[in-house]
Amino acid sequence: MSLAGISSYIKNSYLYRVAKNGSQKVQQTFYDCIPNVSIGSEKWQKRIKWVGREISSPENRLILGVSALMSQPFIDAHNKSVDEDTRKVSVCRTVAKIIAGTTTGVIIRYGCIAAINKWSKLPSSVDKIGQKIKLNKLNTFFSPSNAISDISEAMKQYRKTLGTILSLFVMSITNFAIDAPLTRFLTNKFIEKTGGVKNDTSK
Amino acid sequence: MTLLSNFAETASKKFMAIKNYLYKHYGEEPGKMLVHTGVLSWTLSAAAQVMAIAFNDKISKKEKLFLIPQECADAAINILSFYLVTNAFTNFGVKLVKTGKLTTPVIDKFIKENKVQNVGKITTDISKNMSGELLNEFKSLKSGVSMITNTIGSIASCNILTPILRNEYAARKQKEILSKDGNPKIVSKNSKIQLIKPLSMEAYQKLAYMKFSGNNLKV
Repeated sequence: MSLAGISSYIKNSYLYRVAKNGSQKVQQTFYDCIPNVSIGSEKWQKRIKWVGREISSPENRLILGVSALMSQPFIDAHNKSVDEDTRKVSVCRTVAKIIAGTTTGVIIRYGCIAAINKWSKLPSSVDKIGQKIKLNKLNTFFSPSNAISDISEAMKQYRKTLGTILSLFVMSITNFAIDAPLTRFLTNKFIEKTGGVKNDTSK
Repeated sequence: MTLLSNFAETASKKFMAIKNYLYKHYGEEPGKMLVHTGVLSWTLSAAAQVMAIAFNDKISKKEKLFLIPQECADAAINILSFYLVTNAFTNFGVKLVKTGKLTTPVIDKFIKENKVQNVGKITTDISKNMSGELLNEFKSLKSGVSMITNTIGSIASCNILTPILRNEYAARKQKEILSKDGNPKIVSKNSKIQLIKPLSMEAYQKLAYMKFSGNNLKV
């Protein structure tokens, strides 16, 4: 039986239909509690559309990093299951890890998206002064064949998606090559700045 | 040579199919892209962590036998909590716009003029008969709202839910290790595992530096 056959068999089964109907009923009850809203303010409409157009994985990673910096060190600082010295090291390590991870994460994501932008040109692509770009194997390496316009929203999102996927593979290496030593270096610096610990075994 | 050129041709066709798939599926849904790449990022980071432990000569075979399954369990917690929470938030945003719960005055006018049925029903898609500028307006609103709900979901799962679940799991495991190694003993009270003494500095650093991620790696 092929994969499509298995999928169709599952979707037609009694249990699947019962589960789907139940889930839809729960969801519908939840949605019924939400009032219908029309966003009248043009300023808010523009802001929401701007978020969809401009925010992508690097910005998302930055937001996650900043919000992590505002929450996780405080969680560690109030962890009663470890002693005071341990809490101190734990906070320093968390802050160091967030700074190192967010910095490399954001830079590598931006870098990979920029690289994909350069290597996914279409016949309609033009340079900064409006001249048609000469296509070659390298600058069309990541170009999809089903895209028409270079400036369409779909093409922009496609480049961000591919750039993000590429960055994840790059970061699997840089996590150990850059993040790990940087985290250790920053942790030791922060411990030093906060007066050290009584029983340090990290060095 | 023929075999090699056949392989190159097949690889090239597959690569083009992947690119076209990404263009078609993520071109209009940036929120969905962030959920899927987020899952991929947790998966890759867990795989890298397992490899780092597996090929580390400084970690004994006995420790590896414990650390690798623990890393896999961490990965399962990270991936599941990220996917379930973030995906639910992203879908919520998409459905608000798709069902006509959240609109702009232009979309609202379209709904009233075309007498769109079942507005607010989760199976409804108000964009079915839209075209041109109106469809672009709908897509822009859907992208924006899904990105906002995705970001809220990511913050909730990565910075609140996942650390709580992971810390709970890690604390239980660490207490088990310490009790086995003759460190502070554990006692069972009200069916909960508790430490008589808090975790020591030495024990913490030994555990923390054994793994770079400290159960908190996100690429």
